[in-house]
Amino acid sequence: MDGVSLNAYLLVGAVLFVCGVVCMATKRNGIGVLMGVELVLNGANVNFVAFSHYMPLGLDGQVIALFVIVLAAAEAAVALAIALNYYNSFQTIDVDRGDDLRG
Amino acid sequence: MSNFGALLDSLLQDTIGRSVGVFAPELILCATILLTLFVRLFDADRRLPTYWVALIGSLGAFLLAYFQFIQLRQGSAGSEAYFTGLLVFDQFSVFFRVFLLLFLVLVVSLTILTGLPDLEDGPDFYTLLIGSTVGMMLMASANHLLILFLGVEMASVPSYAMVGFLKGRRSSSEAALKYVVYGAGAAGVMLYGVSLLAGLLGTANLPQIAAQLESLAGSGRGIMDPVVRTAFLGAMMVLAGLAFKLSLVPFHFWCPDAFEGAPAEVAGYLSVASKAAAFALLVRFCLAFAGSDAESLQTLYRALGVGLGLVAVVTATYGNLVAYVQNNMKRLLAYSTIAHAGYMLMAVAALLVINNAPAGTSLDVAAESRRCLEGLLYYLCVYLFMNLGAFAIVALIRNEIFSEDIRDYAGLGFQAPLLGICMAICLFSLTGVPPLGGFVGKLFIFASVVQAAKIAPWMWVVLVLGLLNTVFSLFYYMRVVRAMFLTARPEGARKLEIPFTPIGAYVSILTVPILVLGVYIRGLSDLAQGVAAVFFQ
Repeated sequence: MDGVSLNAYLLVGAVLFVCGVVCMATKRNGIGVLMGVELVLNGANVNFVAFSHYMPLGLDGQVIALFVIVLAAAEAAVALAIALNYYNSFQTIDVDRGDDLRG
Repeated sequence: MSNFGALLDSLLQDTIGRSVGVFAPELILCATILLTLFVRLFDADRRLPTYWVALIGSLGAFLLAYFQFIQLRQGSAGSEAYFTGLLVFDQFSVFFRVFLLLFLVLVVSLTILTGLPDLEDGPDFYTLLIGSTVGMMLMASANHLLILFLGVEMASVPSYAMVGFLKGRRSSSEAALKYVVYGAGAAGVMLYGVSLLAGLLGTANLPQIAAQLESLAGSGRGIMDPVVRTAFLGAMMVLAGLAFKLSLVPFHFWCPDAFEGAPAEVAGYLSVASKAAAFALLVRFCLAFAGSDAESLQTLYRALGVGLGLVAVVTATYGNLVAYVQNNMKRLLAYSTIAHAGYMLMAVAALLVINNAPAGTSLDVAAESRRCLEGLLYYLCVYLFMNLGAFAIVALIRNEIFSEDIRDYAGLGFQAPLLGICMAICLFSLTGVPPLGGFVGKLFIFASVVQAAKIAPWMWVVLVLGLLNTVFSLFYYMRVVRAMFLTARPEGARKLEIPFTPIGAYVSILTVPILVLGVYIRGLSDLAQGVAAVFFQ
């Protein structure tokens, strides 16, 4: 990692985070929104690993990143199951079409 | 190599020697989850319905946690970290364990009475329910930013699935999708905040955050330094994630939709348990920053406290105003839940202001901070009974008349007097009418806001709007009571026939504590004071 500063890693993390947030906010497709969430989680993971190398956070950062990877998988499993269930009821995965509940 | 051996030895000693014993209630719940799945695997669920396994497991965990609580109250008021500092064991965390487990027992009993999961789905439902409770218990005893995130996720992920539990129903699947999309987004933002906070401070341990921040801001950099500001940005992102769990404005969109689409039992569970756990976590997180002597940091925290107070009144006002135009009972109660999160947040805001009072204040800071926390805990305890009571009665009535519309409640008070009276008591208590528990809780919270207003004058605004809100809320709760008691049941409407036992016994069990807590204040108030002494000696 010689010659690469902490800021470079943080920049990558921040770009991933912003892409994820934009993706969550603009996509109408449910799967697209979930992909945005994955980007945000991985942006955070880049931060954790970079901080654990350059800052006193130490191995805690890498352990947290491992936990987050596992957790993202679990969350994606549940979210995809719910998306499938939604498709069965609405015959679409467009989140804007679900407007039965309002008020 | 010998180093590694020593590390392993100390880890084993820490885990087996101490932590496992302290962690036993959670472990019992985990064992219960496994047992419910095994019962189905070996086809024993025809003879032994899984709800008995769930009920016995949660009762066992509740009794054990209660025993721990009694034991702790006789001992010292200190706190000790376990599992290498990831979790903390003190009266505060054990109080919330007892609270959540009591609530779990009540919810499992309710699902037995209403028959929410059929025999086939029982193991799935109870796995999700108990698993999410374990997550909430972790939230209440978090001592590390990793557990903060893991606890929130462990509590949320099963609840996404529970909201969509009514398979094949359009509204249920839509509610689940909205909840999972918003929830996952909020969790992602929260995690990014955790990464900034932990990385810049160089520690993820909650008790060390205050000291690290002070040394960072104190080492000639001041609070306008980019590093310090980025750390605060991280803290704000974490607060936004918690605000989502608490359904505070502007993070409340999911709440009415999720509650309307979910079964009333699940909505009741989410409205009490996830709010209580999130408040426990919020208090821990806010207190991790407090305790600084630096003048600039104290000013900043007071401003944060006032900000939280303003968010609280906006939340309460929004919830109460929008609830007025609702026709669906669950949606009305969802907005009422939002409003109540606002009231309880006022206690946390007052706590933050008082705890960071400028030096030389005439207030007894420790005693007043204890009173703020006492108000929050008292309110949560009353809220458990009144809100679960309201949702339980909605679920019980739904089973008979197949409707959750307020217009269909016309005249029900005369067909089922006990249910009607209990519903009226719950709703009056939610409003905060004097002899009931809800009134005492509100009184405690508003009293702390008055104390905080002596330090930060903006808190007077919070107080006045909070009091006005109590009056607004009367109108929409009264709409329900009026429909039940002052309107005649239309001809040909479906009859509500509820046998006295055991449903009557269940709703009475939920209602009696509301009456008791409104009159006999001393017991719970002393208990809450004792719990609050963990943080403020």
